[in-house]
Amino acid sequence: MTENAERDAIAPLRLRVATPNDIGALAPLLVRLKRLNEEFDPLLKVRDDVLDRARDVLKVEIADPKALLLAAEGIGPDQGKIVGVVRGRVRERVFYSPELEGVILDIYLLPVYRRRGVGEYLLSETVARLQAMGAQIVTAEFPTQNQIASQFYAKRGFRPITGTHAKAL
Amino acid sequence: MARGARSRTAKRRPAARGTGKGEAAGTDESVEEAKTLALGERSIRLAAFYQGKIETVPKVPVRSLEDFSIWYTPGIAAVSRAIEADPDRSFELTGRWNTIAIVTDGSRVLGLGNVGPRAAMPVMEGKALLFKFLGGVDAIPLPLDVARPEELIETVERIAPAFGAINLEDIASPKCFSILETLAGKLPIPIWHDDQLGTAASTVAGLSNAVALTGRSLRSTRVVLFGAGAANIATARLLIAMGQDPRKLSLVDQKGVLHPDREDMDELMIRNPWKYRLALQTRGGGVEGGGIAEALSGADILVAASTPVAGTIQADWVRTMAPDPIVFALANPTPEIWPATARSAGAAIVATGRSDFPNQVNNSLVFPAVFRGVLDARARSIPDELVLAAVAELAARARDHGLSETHILPTMAETDVFPHVAAAVASRAVELGLARERHRREEFLERAQNLMRRPAKLALELLRAGLTVPMPDERIPRRSRR
Repeated sequence: MTENAERDAIAPLRLRVATPNDIGALAPLLVRLKRLNEEFDPLLKVRDDVLDRARDVLKVEIADPKALLLAAEGIGPDQGKIVGVVRGRVRERVFYSPELEGVILDIYLLPVYRRRGVGEYLLSETVARLQAMGAQIVTAEFPTQNQIASQFYAKRGFRPITGTHAKAL
Repeated sequence: MARGARSRTAKRRPAARGTGKGEAAGTDESVEEAKTLALGERSIRLAAFYQGKIETVPKVPVRSLEDFSIWYTPGIAAVSRAIEADPDRSFELTGRWNTIAIVTDGSRVLGLGNVGPRAAMPVMEGKALLFKFLGGVDAIPLPLDVARPEELIETVERIAPAFGAINLEDIASPKCFSILETLAGKLPIPIWHDDQLGTAASTVAGLSNAVALTGRSLRSTRVVLFGAGAANIATARLLIAMGQDPRKLSLVDQKGVLHPDREDMDELMIRNPWKYRLALQTRGGGVEGGGIAEALSGADILVAASTPVAGTIQADWVRTMAPDPIVFALANPTPEIWPATARSAGAAIVATGRSDFPNQVNNSLVFPAVFRGVLDARARSIPDELVLAAVAELAARARDHGLSETHILPTMAETDVFPHVAAAVASRAVELGLARERHRREEFLERAQNLMRRPAKLALELLRAGLTVPMPDERIPRRSRR
């Protein structure tokens, strides 16, 4: 409990499992992240209907036991305001061992809530939840050119093991 | 964008000093256009005649070729060895102490945009002339053919041994910020980007007097900066450093008030982290959303450094500002709102970038003196503390000359001001431990006065001696205005 109180003192938010009521607030945040990804590579150009697709995906995932969907909610004066989103999933590695992989697909926080150790809190909380869902290894997916993410994960012991190489047709 | 939001005094004659009364916008504009057109024609004729504006001239006696045994081999080898033993002696045994490079990639020249390095040259030559004439600084124009910021940075690193300081000029925003930051971190000499710092320092000096004159304090004023280009981003930083509350500072660009909830924040984080940081620092300055009209409501101060179109700032918006508002409309050649219009809408103090209206915010008030100061102190860098020393001195000197609504800054004619600004910068560099050359302030002042007085005298003497050819389109050589 003391540990949690300490964390709250640093992080101006708390992570909780998302509910169907959150989808309206979470979808635009997810879209912001995808637009940020577009900044890193033109092959990540977002679709025109991205907001609708984001809502659809969130609706499906919120009911999927293999999916992890977390909402970051402000505390204090920002109580009740959704300020970030985390998407993850546990999937089977068919050819490799250990077999269950917890993958972090998306982490997005509104600019004002970044820094101050928030990333650390989000990651450890997310990893703990993926682990609770059975994950034996944790991975993260993000655009290759996103050096901020790549440094963030490298600092926390992650290393690149596979990569996606793309070419427009 | 602060495109064109600065001045080039030497190009505009202080003809018909405006009273700030009764100029009709339409007439003013057409007169101004005709004037600019005529000046352009004259510039191109005289450019063809003189084929360059500066040349190197010996500053040592050369009576015969024999003197070269001192100025060149064999004597010079000893000088070379001395510098090899102590590289800092390059500042005292060569002209490095007074030589700077004017570096540009030609990516944002005047209001012309990306004209490239060759077309940037005449402008850089003009700047070199200003550096010499106003600051006594030997400036070498160096437009570079570079595609990426890294190439510019590497080139400047490699030429740095020849120079006492570097002036970056007409480089597009936001790459100008990263280039300045990177070079300042790498090189042991001052790096300056005039489009940011020159304009910002002169703006902030004017503001500090305007604030005092209207009975305000910076801490409690609400400021709106319209245009989030190089100049206003630097202005925001300097204002905050001087005690302005960032939560009462709104930056406004084409997309509206810069606020951390804005959709383009992540794009800014990647492409313009300086603007991104200001968004987080200011949080919109207490304005929740909307554009310039919403931001101005109740604001004390407007600094527009945006588009050179009169009417960009509307009189109705000025009317909604706090009582006795301060309006700086800095776009050149046409201010965002004409001074008379701003005043009739209630503005207590109006400043523009033009010499034909009162209160000219002009980077030429700043850069020659700042360079004189850092060069005389052989400073290793030029942190904001030095810029603020220049700001404070400039503001104080304006007060000495008599503060009023139409005199919040020294004019370019008040040439006694500049050596004082130089001395203030040099002494501050000593205080901060950045100076290779430590003197008392009076010594710096005397040195600056001598060095800054000489070029005008030199130019006049050369003309009198017939060594500078009089302008062919003038029958009688024009007398120096200084």
